[in-house]
Amino acid sequence: MSEEVVLSGGEEHIASAISEEVVITFEDVNKWYGEFHVLKDINLSVRKGERIVICGPSGSGKSTLIRCINRLEPHQDGHIVVNGVNLDANVKNIDAIRSDVGMVFQSFNLFPHLTVVENCTLAPMWVKKMPLAEAEQIAMKYLERVKIPEQAQKYPGQLSGGQQQRVAIARSLCMNPSIMLFDEPTSALDPEMISEVLDVMVELAETGMTMLCVTHEMAFAKKVADRVIFMDFGEIVEENAPDEFFGNAKVDRTQLFLSQILAH
Amino acid sequence: MASVESQSGDVIVFTPKASKPPPPTTVGVLGWLRENLFYSWFSAIVTFAALYLIFITFAALYQWGIADAVWEAESRRQCLDASPHGACWAGIIVWFNGIIYGRFPLDEQWRVDLGFILLVLWLAPFWFPRLTGKIGIGITAVVFYPFLAGYLFAGGERGWFMQTMVLLAVTVFITNWLHIVVSMVTGRSLREWVVGVTGFADKHERLHKYPMLGFQGIVLIGVYLWLGNWSVSEVNTNLWGGLFLTLLISVLAIVTALPGGVALALARRSHMPVIRVSAIAFIELFRSVPLITVLFMAVTMMPLFLPPDFQLNKLVQAIIGVCLFAAAYMAEVVRGGLQAVPNGQYEAAKAMGLTYWKSMNLIILPQALKLMIPNIVSNFLGLVKDTTLVSIIGLYDMLLMLKAAGQNPIWIGLHTEPLVFGAIVYFILCFAMSQYSQALERKLKTTR
Repeated sequence: MSEEVVLSGGEEHIASAISEEVVITFEDVNKWYGEFHVLKDINLSVRKGERIVICGPSGSGKSTLIRCINRLEPHQDGHIVVNGVNLDANVKNIDAIRSDVGMVFQSFNLFPHLTVVENCTLAPMWVKKMPLAEAEQIAMKYLERVKIPEQAQKYPGQLSGGQQQRVAIARSLCMNPSIMLFDEPTSALDPEMISEVLDVMVELAETGMTMLCVTHEMAFAKKVADRVIFMDFGEIVEENAPDEFFGNAKVDRTQLFLSQILAH
Repeated sequence: MASVESQSGDVIVFTPKASKPPPPTTVGVLGWLRENLFYSWFSAIVTFAALYLIFITFAALYQWGIADAVWEAESRRQCLDASPHGACWAGIIVWFNGIIYGRFPLDEQWRVDLGFILLVLWLAPFWFPRLTGKIGIGITAVVFYPFLAGYLFAGGERGWFMQTMVLLAVTVFITNWLHIVVSMVTGRSLREWVVGVTGFADKHERLHKYPMLGFQGIVLIGVYLWLGNWSVSEVNTNLWGGLFLTLLISVLAIVTALPGGVALALARRSHMPVIRVSAIAFIELFRSVPLITVLFMAVTMMPLFLPPDFQLNKLVQAIIGVCLFAAAYMAEVVRGGLQAVPNGQYEAAKAMGLTYWKSMNLIILPQALKLMIPNIVSNFLGLVKDTTLVSIIGLYDMLLMLKAAGQNPIWIGLHTEPLVFGAIVYFILCFAMSQYSQALERKLKTTR
């Protein structure tokens, strides 16, 4: 956060293609880790094609929030509806949602014992029963989209952090998801590699993908987000369009946070 | 250059320095000797003292084991007369057959050899490069081979079940090798080849299994006509012994320990309380009891829990005991490996919509097993050596055959040589396993 990351393609906000259809709804969602109340009365609805950036100090519950969407974390109270399916303990529902919601992690979580292309073909072949040839074709298509088709036969450990994260994005896209979740995708990267990952994410945004992104890359938020959400102590403190959010934040806590991360 | 200066003034071009070789006295044989053996006067003295100790030890061993040794004699008395301070290898040569086969009848020992050769042939394809279907071959080895080998060793009348399994085993063995030959020659699997030859290639893929099933049926009929009435005489398990018995118990324990251990480890990490508690109870019970107790329990107490008309023999009971014991130990090794796989791997697998079993089989276990190779192999080595305990419940494994040599009236007092021989055999077995595991580790090593 010390320097603004330069994104290719200029500063101006990219066009949105938001439809009326609501794909994710949080309704009075509460979650506890043991005694610790991590999400408090969360209400949120996300429309198809919308791009949302979630920021906030560490421990504010922002990662937990997006991990509830594919039920990597179960919530104890309230309702979460994704693509019209209510998330509860029903395993069938959860598996259906997970194969339609892609997720990119802070620590990449590529499978180290498989090559890059095997990482990308695994889920299409075993979840969607796709034949190998077709899965490989799709994998190569997305590896080209993230600009690393030449690394397809290497193992993840032989790639740089930025390349690994781009493979992780391609791996998620191979399942042809309707929603993409990004959990601090650039936080584990060296500064030189952050922009290559963000460029891929910007291009993805241009295709009209529904995206929820936990990040502190404010240049990315300004360029891509339709809405910025600021969280602290497990609550949504402020929810606003990026121009308003960065130029004219309403809540004092948001102003303090922004002044801290933009002060450098 | 001029254009650069005209745009931005004085730009200093950065070029990295070229690498230089290290000083010559720090590398190579000379560098190693200097670094490790003759670093100072004191270390030079220690080096020479150690060399002298090694020399006198090996000189004495050579004197006893080779220079003064007796290779041909009729009895221990003759050995002692010929060379009182040398090893009496003549006794080992006389007892060699017994040490390897126990009291298995001489005329039937080819069956043991054949069983061993079949196992090697069955597993050999694992080391062939670029062969598909290796996992299938491995599964058939676990499912079918034991019945074929079991009949070869035990012999006698075959019931309908044994008859079926033996014929199936031979059929599978033949089709496995046909698959290998076809793959080597045509580059296609046996299945694809059969589908092509029978003209099913342009039919729907779902129908492709029928020509292969038909083909296997034909082979099975052939095998039935060939071996349907074949039988070998019965050899009571009391007569099984020696290295044969040691290997038999070890291999069975190893083959069952790994799948059993994986199942128990997964059960112990399960979220379902009944499964988890049963797994913990089983593992802790078997790990807290010495193997010898498990063996006594298996031989004396297990029959009490079985219906009276269903009696197993002592060998089978002992093998079951060893297998359960080995699985309990393996479970904890596997659990350690599962814990070493980062949580992110589980999450990534879940987030892609993989079910529990698919994520275990495709993502978690392959990584965990690779991490566990050193532990698994030391477990296996321990198992091979622990099988000597079956001698205490009266099974004539290699150790008991070695002791029997020294108790024979003609060879009475021949104790050192058999034990040295046994140590050498165990060393070869275990060292080979250890080396193989290290080669496997190097082969599977991928950078993380």
